[in-house]
Amino acid sequence: MIVIANLKMCQGHARCEDLCPEYFATDAVEGKVVIASPEVPPELEEKVRLAVRNCPEGALRIAKGGAA
Amino acid sequence: MTLLYQPAAPDHVPPELIVDFDFFDVPPGVSDPVRIWHGLTERGAPPIFYTPRNGGHWVFLRYVDIVEAYRNHEMFSTRGAQVPPLEPYPVLQPNGVDPPEHDVFRKLLAPMFTPLAVRRMTDGLQRRAEGLIAGFADRGGCDFVADYAAKFPTSTFLELFGLPQSRLPEFLRISDTFFRSTDPEVRAANLQEIFAVLEELFRERDRSPGNDLASAIVQARDSEGRQHPWQDIINCGFLLFVAGLDTVTNTMTYVWRYLATSPDARAKFRDRLDDPAAFMIAIEELMRINAVSTIYRRVTHDSVFKGVQMRRNDRILLPNTIANRDATVFQNPGTIDLDRKVNNHVTFGVGPHRCIGSHLAKREIMISLQEWLRRIPEFELAPDQREASVFGGPVMGFESLMLRW
Repeated sequence: MIVIANLKMCQGHARCEDLCPEYFATDAVEGKVVIASPEVPPELEEKVRLAVRNCPEGALRIAKGGAA
Repeated sequence: MTLLYQPAAPDHVPPELIVDFDFFDVPPGVSDPVRIWHGLTERGAPPIFYTPRNGGHWVFLRYVDIVEAYRNHEMFSTRGAQVPPLEPYPVLQPNGVDPPEHDVFRKLLAPMFTPLAVRRMTDGLQRRAEGLIAGFADRGGCDFVADYAAKFPTSTFLELFGLPQSRLPEFLRISDTFFRSTDPEVRAANLQEIFAVLEELFRERDRSPGNDLASAIVQARDSEGRQHPWQDIINCGFLLFVAGLDTVTNTMTYVWRYLATSPDARAKFRDRLDDPAAFMIAIEELMRINAVSTIYRRVTHDSVFKGVQMRRNDRILLPNTIANRDATVFQNPGTIDLDRKVNNHVTFGVGPHRCIGSHLAKREIMISLQEWLRRIPEFELAPDQREASVFGGPVMGFESLMLRW
């Protein structure tokens, strides 16, 4: 499982970072979402799903993804 | 519904969409100004309706329409959108302009309001919260608005702008007049005073910059290496003054008013004092339920929105409190659930004008509540509340809130 972020839609609410800082971060210039390592570790899947559902802009999307 | 008078509305507004509604007017006996919004649907107001009050404006009552208006800046502009129409009003930077012009000041300010930048302010916020609370904790009671909720964001503003805390009384006085006075002459003099203060501040930072927000704004250069237009610099300072004080003050007042009446909620927050992530989830719910701001937009061109004919320069109100309790989006919208799992509230807006200070505002509230509960774990409403202390308008709230412990 990977998460795809649409940076045009992201407005920097950082709800994802609040809810799952192990996976989501925000940059220091615009405060937009940064996903350093796209593959979601299995133990974080539930937390990541919840963070995605809490994006007020609908800027995050879950996609199937294997190891790159 | 029965109207006391038949007000005049422009001829493109069909009579069935007209509702007599004054969002500044909180009738006597209404102790919570948010109530004026939540009776509208029961009164039979259509989801998009027009009121001739305050210069005449539309009101959107559905989450989906409110969110769409926030995002569609090509149809719904922030420029010159005040209700009632105020001319001339400063073009606030960056909130009062639309993309792409908006992006210049937005980008300039953004690095100073990222979660990372706000986390770096934690020590200062904690120190000032603790200091203010220590000033009255032993008194057994306080007026929460005067003694804390007005002072804390104002003192944060001083810190952000690199101004000494000794100027707190002066800034409290000018902000109180700005947000509460209805006398046109007093307001005009007050605006002049605010702009004089900003002018002096930015001139000083232009000569000798420091490590503060005012210096960053005045020292910034455009793509051709020039300083931004002076009026835009001043208006950007004015925006930060307008946007960051009254909103935080009244949100805090709502939050403390709720906590004063809910022992369960106080206990839940106390249990989370050492778990900031869980504390923040509960704060988000209080942000949802205590959305004090109603936002203005102006229609840019004649067009039909959701089947409703709108004309250029029509004004729109977007009441966040209504969006946040839309049953099509939130489960049990009227219930305060401090563990709410999915909470896409719009208290800070969405789209390009999302409140740039949202992370700071939330951190101010979180730190205040943490410091408060450590020092004053139990408190309640005092029996002697001041009458007629509530107000409606673009930021709803309370002039005073007497607490005791």
